[in-house]
Amino acid sequence: MSDVRMQAQEVFRQVFDDPEIVLCDEMTADDIPGWDSLTHINLMVATEKRFKIKFATAEISKMKEEGQNVGTFLALIGKKLARTS
Amino acid sequence: MQTLDSYATLESYLAVSPEEKSGVFSKLLAQLRTLLSQRCWAQAALMVQQAFTPTSDFTAFQSLYRIYSKLKPHIGLPQRPRLAILGGCTTTQIAQAIELALFSQGGGVEVFETEYGVYRQEILDPGSELYRFQPTIVLLATTWRDLIHRPSVELGREEITALVDAELAGWSALWRTVHDRSGCLVVQNTFDRPAWRQMDNHEMRHPASLWRFVSRVNDALADRAPPYVVLHDVDSLAALAGRRAWGDERFFFHAKMPCAPEFIVDYGFSVASLLAAQLGLSKKCLVLDLDNTCWGGVIGDDGLGGIRLGQGDGEGEAFVAFQQYAKALKQRGILLAVCSKNEEHIAKEVFEKHTEMVLRLDDISCFMANWTDKAANLREIARRLNIGLNSLVMVDDNPAERALVRQLAPEVAVPELPDDPAGYIQAIEAHHYFQTLSLAQEDLQRAEYYRANAQREQALSGSADVGEYLQSLAMVARIGPVTAMSLERTAQLINKSNQFNLTTKRRSAAEVSAIAADPQWLTRTVSLSDRFGDNGLISVLLAKVEGDALVIDTWLMSCRVLKRGVEILLNNNLCRWAIDRGLQRICGEYVATPKNDLVREHYAGLGYVQIYGDVADRTQWEMSLSANWRPQPVFIEEQPFHE
Repeated sequence: MSDVRMQAQEVFRQVFDDPEIVLCDEMTADDIPGWDSLTHINLMVATEKRFKIKFATAEISKMKEEGQNVGTFLALIGKKLARTS
Repeated sequence: MQTLDSYATLESYLAVSPEEKSGVFSKLLAQLRTLLSQRCWAQAALMVQQAFTPTSDFTAFQSLYRIYSKLKPHIGLPQRPRLAILGGCTTTQIAQAIELALFSQGGGVEVFETEYGVYRQEILDPGSELYRFQPTIVLLATTWRDLIHRPSVELGREEITALVDAELAGWSALWRTVHDRSGCLVVQNTFDRPAWRQMDNHEMRHPASLWRFVSRVNDALADRAPPYVVLHDVDSLAALAGRRAWGDERFFFHAKMPCAPEFIVDYGFSVASLLAAQLGLSKKCLVLDLDNTCWGGVIGDDGLGGIRLGQGDGEGEAFVAFQQYAKALKQRGILLAVCSKNEEHIAKEVFEKHTEMVLRLDDISCFMANWTDKAANLREIARRLNIGLNSLVMVDDNPAERALVRQLAPEVAVPELPDDPAGYIQAIEAHHYFQTLSLAQEDLQRAEYYRANAQREQALSGSADVGEYLQSLAMVARIGPVTAMSLERTAQLINKSNQFNLTTKRRSAAEVSAIAADPQWLTRTVSLSDRFGDNGLISVLLAKVEGDALVIDTWLMSCRVLKRGVEILLNNNLCRWAIDRGLQRICGEYVATPKNDLVREHYAGLGYVQIYGDVADRTQWEMSLSANWRPQPVFIEEQPFHE
């Protein structure tokens, strides 16, 4: 498991209060209990802090849209990390 | 055991750097979940209360709030004001932060929220949900975006003044209506200035700039709000946080959050402090440690000339600034007390004689300098001042003392302090401990009253069981002879220690080295570490074999580790050594000096019998060794010595 995926998994576990969450690319907001508009903000904040990255307003808003899933989210994090390093 | 573990985790969570916090927090969270599953509600509540601080990050706050929600039905919270939050923004997270921050101070609150942006309708409609809720407090959680009027650049001075008046009239009408209909207290936010200046440098001067308009509206609120309206100064929160960081608008655009999420916790603590003031839960007394809190160094060892305090030394100036801060608190009616491990006359001498001291003895309402544990002393301070234990804030540089008080007197607020005294003020300020709804003349005279009252009180009493605390320190000691490696530190202690020093014999490094090489002599040093870190080499003993006796020549210890049982451990080690050598007894001597009263009863405490004494200046003691000798119990694990 890649480092990004593992760290993101820790973030998901804390944000959604479930130490058993295992991330897979196909997961969407509907698959994770408790992923509502409030926990979504927490997820964004916690992810930014963990990876020292910053999401654009559009990226914050589109996470829960059609076609978005954990895979696209991890790819977005990876892209931002590549840009900062 | 669960209790000890969770305290240890809590302390390391509070102490670690921001980068490491999230790792330790996961552990704390797991322990909190365990406590919940075991239905240990009270213990879990205590942990949440101590773990949630103004420096908690947003994610930790959300996790702690979830734990709090689960245990809330199982704990009784007295006195619950009914708070309605009417926002021009999303208020859910603010409401949660307020509730949790108030809980961390032992208070509860019943919260009602409206949808964002409908506060006018809620206030104006007499049949609204708001009035059915019957609020005792209404918070108008506004931001600058809720201003009814905006200046436009072509307006002249008089038109702007009229606009400020119109703005105030608009808010006044809302306050009056909601107050008349529900009798509630109104908490009105000041308006935060946004994170940009359209007119750049002229923003503060141009009559029609937004910043200047907001400032004038805030001034008008301050000057003209009626007594039932309390201002909550959000503009200052934004300024203290840094407007650019506070005004990160991504989460406003996305979800109408009033400020960047990371400042929601601070926002919550700030509002909660007003509710706490309303409930009588604000703190009344700042209790100060002395050594390394009010000055740099240890007065008992370094002396009046040796402590760092005053101009010419950076750290010395930081301690002066901290004392000035404490003095300013006293001037606005907060009591000051001292709780220090020191000889009282030595500690007081600094207040009386040190020219750089800002605080004077008559600033201190209750002065406790002794060797009793701090939890017991804090109880005594509260008793003498006749205030609740939960009215005290203890400021202490020593993490072990902070841990002890958090554990044995959890009602006392104990802010985490940075190592650098230059950060003390901000660390304390962040908590909004001393909030008031208004500043009355009486507040300014209160300190004098309490001080006089405390002077009437004489009796010293009360003790807490410290065994559990000592165990939770997880102390490990290494005892061995003086070696080449430890020679320098040993000589330094021999020549510096005053308080825990039985004979105060000074010796050079060369003399100590010769003693260490002499087979008739026994040398011992003790190094101690605990879960807060390594204290290093903290105790030295030199003794000589004379006939069937081991005669102790020098026994000293650093005051940092008093009352931990180190002396008992060392005595056990000594007895074992002497028995192995076939010796019959151990002899010790106490020679009084102006500074070592602390150890007058040292040998008596260890079970020695007094065999000689002259006018209390010099006493001699003896312990007989027999085959059925058993070591005295201690809470320190002894590990093998290595050079």
